[in-house]
Amino acid sequence: MDLETPMPSKYDRFKIETKPAPHVYQIPNKFDVSARKVRLAAMLVHEAFEYKLNKEVVLSRPCIYGVFGGRFGGFKPLKHKCVGCMRCVQEYPHIMTVKHSDSYKRLGDSFWTPEAVFTILNEASTGKIPVKGMGYKGAFGGEGFDGIWTDMSEIVRPTRDGVYGREYISTSVDVGRKPTSVDFSKIDRASSTIEIPVPIIFDKLSAGNGDVRAAVGMAAEKLGTFYVSRERTPFDFGQESLIPIGNEEGIEDLVERPPAIVEYDAEKSDLFEKLASRLPSSIVIARLPLREDSGMIACKLAHEGVHGLHLYADYHGQDYSKEPQHISASLKEVHQQLVKGGLRDQVTLIASGGITLAEHVPKAIICGADLVGIDTTVLVALQAEFRGETRDRANCQLKPRKIDPEWGAQRLVNLFGVWHDQLIEILSAMGIRDVRRLRGDIGRSMMDAELRELSFKGIAWAT
Amino acid sequence: MGNLELIVEKHSERIHHGLEVLPNLRHGLPEGLGNKRWTAELILATYEMALTGDLPKNGLEYKTGNSGGGFDVLGWKNNGSAKVESDKIDLSIELNKRDDGKKITIPLPIYGGGMSFGSISLNFMLARARAAKRLNTFMSTGEGGYPDDIVPYRDHVITQVATGMFGVREETIQYAPIVEFKYAQGAKPGLGGHLLADKVTSEVAKMRESSMFTSLYSPFPFHSVYSVEDHKKHVDWIKTVNPRALVSVKVSTPTDVDMVAIGSYHAGANIIHIDGGYGGTGAAPEIAKKNIAMPVEYAIPKVHDYLMSEGVRDEIVLIASGGIRTADDIAKAIALGADGCVVATAEAIAVGCTHCGNCERGRGCQVGITTTDPELSRFIEPEWGETRIVNLFTAWSKRLRSILAGFGLENVRDLRGRRDLLVRYK
Repeated sequence: MDLETPMPSKYDRFKIETKPAPHVYQIPNKFDVSARKVRLAAMLVHEAFEYKLNKEVVLSRPCIYGVFGGRFGGFKPLKHKCVGCMRCVQEYPHIMTVKHSDSYKRLGDSFWTPEAVFTILNEASTGKIPVKGMGYKGAFGGEGFDGIWTDMSEIVRPTRDGVYGREYISTSVDVGRKPTSVDFSKIDRASSTIEIPVPIIFDKLSAGNGDVRAAVGMAAEKLGTFYVSRERTPFDFGQESLIPIGNEEGIEDLVERPPAIVEYDAEKSDLFEKLASRLPSSIVIARLPLREDSGMIACKLAHEGVHGLHLYADYHGQDYSKEPQHISASLKEVHQQLVKGGLRDQVTLIASGGITLAEHVPKAIICGADLVGIDTTVLVALQAEFRGETRDRANCQLKPRKIDPEWGAQRLVNLFGVWHDQLIEILSAMGIRDVRRLRGDIGRSMMDAELRELSFKGIAWAT
Repeated sequence: MGNLELIVEKHSERIHHGLEVLPNLRHGLPEGLGNKRWTAELILATYEMALTGDLPKNGLEYKTGNSGGGFDVLGWKNNGSAKVESDKIDLSIELNKRDDGKKITIPLPIYGGGMSFGSISLNFMLARARAAKRLNTFMSTGEGGYPDDIVPYRDHVITQVATGMFGVREETIQYAPIVEFKYAQGAKPGLGGHLLADKVTSEVAKMRESSMFTSLYSPFPFHSVYSVEDHKKHVDWIKTVNPRALVSVKVSTPTDVDMVAIGSYHAGANIIHIDGGYGGTGAAPEIAKKNIAMPVEYAIPKVHDYLMSEGVRDEIVLIASGGIRTADDIAKAIALGADGCVVATAEAIAVGCTHCGNCERGRGCQVGITTTDPELSRFIEPEWGETRIVNLFTAWSKRLRSILAGFGLENVRDLRGRRDLLVRYK
């Protein structure tokens, strides 16, 4: 052995390489700054006298972000630089107005708030966790994921520094059916599960041009995750990461090139036996809309031997029950029924629909999912246009624009990188080293509705 | 006077004038100001109280925000007219209920929370210290060390010992009437502190014994504390260095916050300070602010009831923080079970903060609060800031007295745990 030549390191710690991928379509200015021009001119004249034409003092601007740093100062403010600090209004309330711009307020739909759209756009663009000063500014709690807080541990664990690289926190999950006991006679058989490094896949998109599909495929390949699609992409990349949705007619095509994972519409067909026998090396997942009877159906399918269930709500996170409820509630029901039936550890649960922000990932996992699928978020990250409501999977009004697939892939890699880091923040606050431990661990969460009743018990309702 | 002086003077005057005229609504309610928790009206009402020392008289909402939950959906039972004269009402609370140790009483159930040198300007820190002295209460250093300029106010300054140990020295512990262990912070529970590189100027780096313009992270948790027994060793350490000091333990609000509280009691703490999830910060990941740990409104009754059931409630002081914005919030927190409250953001609002959330940026705050920029820092003259903070707390005292008077309570201590006086709104 040549001691002079260092051995190449084989250590490869999972890390998502983010890099800036700026917006290619202009995004709205968040704030609209304007000045009453006559008053502004009068003020300048007044200050010119007050400061004896000392140009530097007269023209010193009431903004540290450069909004008035353009050639025409306050007469033509550089609105894109405004961060809403309001100092100009504090200094010159009779002249300046700052408000959220109309184009910002129009972003999104009844579910996607302008703030959420901006968050995704910035995460995809920068690849950096949003860090800001001051405390939380939003609603107290709310419905669905907004009504859930995750737990933290004050002292009892040493994992915190994971986010800065000192200790490893695993975000890997397994997809596939797990044996209930070790069978030594089959010990040589290849594992029937696939490990993916983040608990997130790309779900089927209702709208998407070839470029979008290509970006998704490339991103999935780079990230080591998967994407669900009814059609194969006409590209060389991403084929290994594809989860096709199988149907009766397409089985022969799948047999020709067996995918690692395949889904089928369990509501429309009973293809499991056929897919499992024709694609013995593939993980077969039943795709199901979440409804009031999903728990029962999930147990039946798990008994029949499916390897996993992909449960989906609509794009606003509402299930398809007669009285729709949020995916967080329906997921808990399915998870708990599988636990009661002694089946939970055998199947993988993928949840999608309404999982649109980083915090939804750990919350969906706490509610019982092993991993999640994202959908409309992908299109938002790729600067698709909102043309109406995005709720309906068959008629989503989020229209993709023409994009460069390479750019799109980087935006999605950035998004996953940021979500991965935020997942680690949540896990480290809890003192958990492995996201798999979070699955269905309701004790790691605090529910607004429950806490409200406990803490405000005995307080009378106002009449 | 040089141009820089003139520029600072010009903008200081304009900002101060703006804070005076904005609350009179002559120019309307600024559309871009505020959010659900700190509404535009609440911000302007705070400016007004900081100016006059009185409650707003022009109808500005000064009691609640618009968050749709917590304090904002709690109100008071209709209590008719005042049953006690206002000036006979005692708002003081004790900060040491144990038999041993120094007895400290503050005349209001309020003291100032930790805001570190580096995350805020020295001038704002001085304004807070001066206000604490005038009000005979306290303010906490936060985790950025103990600048020499605040030593003259040391009888009213709490030394914070946090996980990064920035600026913790024997003398700063010996100065302090109260030493505060910061185990966690509500805005970033379980995540430690974070001061972005741009704000680590030479003065800040010197104080924290670190390198200039390098981001500073406080680890989480204390790497010397993994049990209540370890925590007791910490308390013992402080009591050895400064036997006169009271010990406060600042924690966040996890599911088992009641267990954490009882653990702190058994470790010998005088004050258990719970900082709810909606608390303030100079910089924190947005995901942490909204999603980790419960709001303080839910944690207070949980801790209060548990300490009662353990029979130790009257031996430890329960202080609440994390989203306390108004006098009504304080009174509600006390009615839910706290002894008193810690506030910080409200003090910043008093001197011109707009809750815009740009504190973490390079130059930091546009009005000189959360900045280390030498020019911007000068917008807050310590005397001016002191007056504004004292005025705010004076106005709050009036509101607290009016609430207590309505219920015929002569002492704020009698309000503790009186949930029967509250009502809920849908």
